[in-house]
Amino acid sequence: MEVVLLFSMIIGLLLIGVPIAVSLGFSSIMFLLVFSDTSLGSIAQSFYQAMAGHYTLLAIPFFILASSFMSTGGVARRIIRFSIACVGHLRGGLAIAGVFACMMFAALSGSSPATVVAIGTIVIAAMKQAGYTKEFAAGVICNAGTLGILIPPSIVMVVYASATDVSVGRMFLAGVIPGLLAGLSLMVAIYVFARLRNMPKGEFAGWGEIGAAFRDAFWGLMLIVIIMVGIYGVPGLTGAIFTPTEAAAVASVYAFVVAMFVYRDIGPLAPKGANSLSAAVAGPVEGTPKSLFQAPWALLTAFVHPDTKHTLVEAGKLTITLMFIIANALILKHVLTDEQIPQHIAQAMLGAGLGPITFLIVVNVILLIGGQFMEPSGLLVIVAPLVFPIAIELGIDPIHLGIIMVVNMEIGMITPPVGLNLFVTSGVAGMPMMDVVKAAAPFLAVLFCFLILVTYVPAISLWLPTLVMGPEIIIR
Amino acid sequence: MSSKFEPKGALGRAAHAFEETAIAILLGSMTMLSFVAVIMRYVFNSSFIWSLEVILILFAWLVIFGVSYGFKMTAHLGVDVITNTLAPRTRKITALIAGGVCIVYAFLLLKGSWDFWAPYAALDRTSGRWFPTGFEQTRDQAWFVTDQVPPMRWLFGWLEPLINQNEEYEKLPRVVPYLILPLGSALILFRIIQAVIAIARDERTGLIVSHEAEDAVEEVAAANRAAEATVQAQAQRS
Repeated sequence: MEVVLLFSMIIGLLLIGVPIAVSLGFSSIMFLLVFSDTSLGSIAQSFYQAMAGHYTLLAIPFFILASSFMSTGGVARRIIRFSIACVGHLRGGLAIAGVFACMMFAALSGSSPATVVAIGTIVIAAMKQAGYTKEFAAGVICNAGTLGILIPPSIVMVVYASATDVSVGRMFLAGVIPGLLAGLSLMVAIYVFARLRNMPKGEFAGWGEIGAAFRDAFWGLMLIVIIMVGIYGVPGLTGAIFTPTEAAAVASVYAFVVAMFVYRDIGPLAPKGANSLSAAVAGPVEGTPKSLFQAPWALLTAFVHPDTKHTLVEAGKLTITLMFIIANALILKHVLTDEQIPQHIAQAMLGAGLGPITFLIVVNVILLIGGQFMEPSGLLVIVAPLVFPIAIELGIDPIHLGIIMVVNMEIGMITPPVGLNLFVTSGVAGMPMMDVVKAAAPFLAVLFCFLILVTYVPAISLWLPTLVMGPEIIIR
Repeated sequence: MSSKFEPKGALGRAAHAFEETAIAILLGSMTMLSFVAVIMRYVFNSSFIWSLEVILILFAWLVIFGVSYGFKMTAHLGVDVITNTLAPRTRKITALIAGGVCIVYAFLLLKGSWDFWAPYAALDRTSGRWFPTGFEQTRDQAWFVTDQVPPMRWLFGWLEPLINQNEEYEKLPRVVPYLILPLGSALILFRIIQAVIAIARDERTGLIVSHEAEDAVEEVAAANRAAEATVQAQAQRS
């Protein structure tokens, strides 16, 4: 009974515009003060320990920082050039290249709205010029942008892993095949559409262009290699080199060096006005970056350059908002664990003869609805502590559950009437929300089939992590 | 509903610069320290034993200090689907109620933070379960130290005669890292009250944004509009 009260309070507060973090924290504190003998002092302690006591969560600020250095207009442009060189000559090639670029950028940035903004800004404009309709362009990018949270490294997965104490490394690996599969099925759908409606195709620019574009995008894409090789080691040669947290820290220093000294889109060596998104809309940047030989002092000034500070502050801000939610969600988790609430629900479900399949359908529905309203990490930290123990009781694999939750929220973000990515796309493409909804609908259907597949075929998520890291041990 | 934040007045600008610099330095030093620790371990096969604990303390400082900055910048995430559909008047009222909830939350957090921190500073915690009703005799915990962090006596030596009966600290006393709790939550309370006043004066519409990229989206949308305007202007001219 109390649990219904607790969750109605959280949802009620959310709907009147209380920040997610405060809704969670306020409701949990009320609950603890009224129903248990926990003191405010120990709540404050657990707030502090949310950061100082969770080594896994330390990966979040580092991944965010790495992606902030990599999310400049320049890196997105290089990745798009590479994808157009690869698949631009197919029918509907620019759209397919857009999906391909979204997949690569997703792996760098780990955030869906950020992917839509960075890739959408450039690709939607390019597609209009090439003769596609604006609606089709927006629909493609809106869907492909959601891959951001499924393809590793994904911040949402780090959040899930730390909320449920599963291995981050395993979660990342489990996302690889579903991520590629989702991207591939979108590409196939686009290709079929393009054949049917006879959409434009580009010229094949030749292997030279592919090579040149690859060399240009190489430094950005290396970030993914550093993270993956760092976490899992070179297959057959070495074991894991870094923990995910260390890999993230190394990645953010690498991203800093690439942004400052290799690409020079920002920092002391950058040409004027190269780093802003509005510059990306306006077209290629004029002027060439300085070389390090012309300004060797940049090695030092790069650390205190306004662009560095700006990037650090932006990454810091995002870290703060996410961690504020997580810290409060940990207080909620404390309430749930104390009261044994998930266990009670699980017993009730088993008693009523409901099995894993019914349970997964319920999870699907809750997350699809929730995913429309709320930023994925926020939703996850509310739902995971409640759903996770039930799933374990029912014998569902924790990693598989994590992937189901991520795919669900991904689709929630583009489900009408209010999906988050729909809003972002309508802003980026400069078209009304309803048009984006209509444009996204056919591809949404594709992703829905994909969701059903992922939910009921665990092997898609579990095959790769089991292959690389061995079978997992589940402790009840 | 975010908009570019413009600090007001000399004090506002100074505070803004200080907050941003502090966030940048905290995050930057966390990253560099982790990076150096990794390099030390793999390349030189040695490490500072204190690095992890210091990184985690910096992490806690970054977040707890930054939450107040987040309230100031309207950066905290929330759900705006319902509030966006309300008429301006109703919207203002719900925003004020939401603000009230936040104030209560921050107040409880502040009381909890003081109660937690005070014993480590040889001070008394407050009595009362919900509201502080006075101070109660508390067992002194000022001799508690962190696990590995060096004492940095040149910086914190003055604490020893003050709270540790002139005894030398072997490691950094816990009172120092935990200080961010009362400090941070007082700042949070302050920024929330400021935000609620701004809402009451119609200078702000709410406390939340719905996703983290709102600024970027608005920037692109503005650039799009500007680009279209130029195209139209050119079309009219020709």
